[in-house]
Amino acid sequence: MSDGETPVGDGGEAETDETPAGDGGEAETDETPADGDASRDSVDLTAADGDVPPAVRLEGITKRFGDVVANDGVDFTLEPGTVHAIVGENGAGKTTLMSVLYGLYRPDEGRIVVDGEPRTFDSPRDASDAGIGMIHQHFQLVDTMTVLQNVVLGYEPTDSGLVDADRAREEIAEVCATYGFDVDEYLDTRIEELGIGVQQRVEIVKSLYRGADTLVLDEPTAVLTPQEVDDLFDVMVELTESGRSLVFITHKLEEAMAVADEITVLRDGEAVGTVDGDATSREELARMMVGREVLFDTVERTTSPGAEILSVEDLHVRDDRGLLAVRGVDCTVREGEILGIAGVEGNGQAELVEALTGLRSVEEGTVTFAGRDVTDRSRRERIQAGIAYVPEDRQAEGLVQDYDLVRNALLGNQTVEPFVRGRFVNWGAVRDHAESIVDEYDVQPGNADAEASSLSGGNQQKFVVGREFEHDPDLLVASHPTRGVDIGAIEFIHERLREMRDDGVGVVLVSSKLDEIQQLSDRIAVVYEGEFVDVVDPAAVTDHDLGLLMTGDSPDGPVAAAEPAADGGGGA
Amino acid sequence: MSGADTDGARAFLDRAADRMVDATAIERIAIGFASTALALALGSVIVAATGYDAVEFVTSLVDGAVGSESNIAFTLRQSSMLILAGVAVAIAFRAGVFNIGVQGQFVVGGFATSLTILYFAPHLPEGTTGGVLLMALGAIAAMLAGGAYAALPGLMKAYADANEVITTIMLNFIASGVVYFLIDEYLRPAGTSAPNTERFPEYVELPRVVFDSPSFSVVGLGVALAAVVLVAVFMSRTRLGYDLVTSGHQQSAAAYSGVDPGRTVVTTMVLSGMVAGLAGAVFAVMILGYYSDPSTFPTFGFDAIAVSLLAANSPVGVVPAGLLFGGLDAGGQYIGFTTDVPSELVDGVVGLIVLFVAAPELFRMAGKRAWLGGDRE
Repeated sequence: MSDGETPVGDGGEAETDETPAGDGGEAETDETPADGDASRDSVDLTAADGDVPPAVRLEGITKRFGDVVANDGVDFTLEPGTVHAIVGENGAGKTTLMSVLYGLYRPDEGRIVVDGEPRTFDSPRDASDAGIGMIHQHFQLVDTMTVLQNVVLGYEPTDSGLVDADRAREEIAEVCATYGFDVDEYLDTRIEELGIGVQQRVEIVKSLYRGADTLVLDEPTAVLTPQEVDDLFDVMVELTESGRSLVFITHKLEEAMAVADEITVLRDGEAVGTVDGDATSREELARMMVGREVLFDTVERTTSPGAEILSVEDLHVRDDRGLLAVRGVDCTVREGEILGIAGVEGNGQAELVEALTGLRSVEEGTVTFAGRDVTDRSRRERIQAGIAYVPEDRQAEGLVQDYDLVRNALLGNQTVEPFVRGRFVNWGAVRDHAESIVDEYDVQPGNADAEASSLSGGNQQKFVVGREFEHDPDLLVASHPTRGVDIGAIEFIHERLREMRDDGVGVVLVSSKLDEIQQLSDRIAVVYEGEFVDVVDPAAVTDHDLGLLMTGDSPDGPVAAAEPAADGGGGA
Repeated sequence: MSGADTDGARAFLDRAADRMVDATAIERIAIGFASTALALALGSVIVAATGYDAVEFVTSLVDGAVGSESNIAFTLRQSSMLILAGVAVAIAFRAGVFNIGVQGQFVVGGFATSLTILYFAPHLPEGTTGGVLLMALGAIAAMLAGGAYAALPGLMKAYADANEVITTIMLNFIASGVVYFLIDEYLRPAGTSAPNTERFPEYVELPRVVFDSPSFSVVGLGVALAAVVLVAVFMSRTRLGYDLVTSGHQQSAAAYSGVDPGRTVVTTMVLSGMVAGLAGAVFAVMILGYYSDPSTFPTFGFDAIAVSLLAANSPVGVVPAGLLFGGLDAGGQYIGFTTDVPSELVDGVVGLIVLFVAAPELFRMAGKRAWLGGDRE
């Protein structure tokens, strides 16, 4: 509204700011906010006595969509200068809750209190004026505009009606200097030329520039590499130290435990509890999220593999640019065996998988399935022969976004009885199938008439996985089957994979999660630049050695004297 | 920019869009009528402002569309053609193939019908039996020819990566030119100067049944409605229909599910062309009774694009859209005879009506795309 003057500061709102000095809250927030200018005018004196109102308080928030209760009387308190993580399974209501705070949804019941003052938000603009900024999972940046233009967009400092670029530049530089951001180095670079990590920092700077005191980060690490995640955590520490308060939405427990002061767990739209980030454990959080004990350990198998079901010889495949992405891969998969394929993404896994499933033509070599050469067989013929495929890209391939789940249940089943009879579709049977997938794989919301695009990513994945698993395949090719899926569902999908293996299904498992590969695979093929550099025994290889193989080195003492890798894989 | 006004307006728009997205079919048709009335009101203000009699304008338009039995017949005649051609467009658009060549396929189909009828007429008995046989053969020929002619751009797109929008537009001109040449050169009866074929035998005629109009038969409308039903069932209940529609929605997901993209494009074009060809057959038999220079034909194949888009490419939706366009066409032509309102102004008001009817539907589609309405996690 009237904050055209000093966007770096708090705008014109008379907020009851937490005083920077001596607020006595739990986390140290006693660095000067160093706003650059002294525009934090309205210092509430009572605050100095340690009676600081929370940066954000949500009281009894309830939000319904039709029959679905996305949030059910959720209370949430964000203390100033802290990181408060919200964890929960997909569909637990994390994003809905934050959308309420950000003015995207209006709550059906409940109250929003910002800095001690009750508020109602009709739009994100209101929330923004109250000092709340949101960093969405998918960045809200204009790709073809420069960083400078993106940061000031809608809040441009003006000089007699024209954008005052010099002042914008100075102000952004100030923000960057305050938090040690490198964004001001890229002010004249277009967004599309920047890496994801930098784009995310641009988003953060944008919010700060608009005067945000409270930042909501919606699954910010999902798109980042491990190195970028570390950088982001540094930034988060930096931000809290200078008095900003952060809400960190995630479903990765390690991350929540690493950076959060407090962690609130949501389950089925309800807040089941808030714990101290330092005093909790992975097991406790997982139990709260899922509502029961969760096993993280490898399960010994009691069955053994059978006859060879898939064999690949000297396979060469080109990628979309015409370059050889797979160069001479040989491998076999037996019935009742899981072959894990480990590797840094982009080393030919995607092309290999597409060649196996019939989506990409083969340059050289053969693919033999159940004793028949299927190298030149179409995708449809391979589906009919019994090859199921969980695709890497569920959004573009696994689901038609604007179909409901019933229509999506037919995808890939167009030639399968009883879903089709002759040339006609038997929609009744398809609907039953869709409902049983929704049921068995706990797809939320539990309604087969929901459009695919209305589901969260994890629930979309569960549906795709369910559909492909229930194909009754002889060979299952699963590309990142648990990507974006929460712990309870991961456990379930793993269990189903083991069951299918025990039932004699051959499985090719591609995953970027090493712990997943190690827990499930009978053998691990390590792929590097389109070749299998080694095939190793998961029980006898360390993370370290796998890491070396994945980067093209060979470990000195290969596969020797290694204890079974501990679970968790991901730690520091 | 700033201020609660815009935010309030936004919230209002959000709610309105929500409401629109969840509207039922009956509500949508009611909205269509209300939009037409509103556009007519606005149109008559414009007509009055330019110095013509607005009341006469509106009454003429309505009169021309539904004022008398023969006017209704004319409306239904235009609507039948627009529905058939609209279905042809809808098939292709639903499958994500932009067949702008329905006009050309329509021309070729009608020509095939004419050739078939003129060729076989001497070899078959005269009278009703011969007439029915000739019309059936003509319709089959039209569908084969229309399908084959549409297969060309389909093949070019599937296997040579040629953009179907461009190729189908070019093939429209080729169809028109070649058919004109063939008629003028080989089929024009000796001693005549107009580029027309001989007339079909008089027993080659659709029974009138209800309306006493020489150029409309409810059988023609029946053919159009039958095509609508068949195509609607095909799209919603058959395997191939699912493959086509899925390709139109999301190519990558269709490929994942085992649909061969190239073959699907060709199939789509052939089906679309077959319906367009059938429209040509109805045109030749029901309206003309002979065949002529295609450049003088009404542009049903192009108008059908607007019909199909207004129907959101739904074959069933093409029926009300076709009726609206047919009525406007009939009413618009009638105004030309009965008043001195310039045809440009008539077209302008007709355009206004289409715009008003289309706007809420577009709003709906946009709202749907923005995931408004319904349940969302």
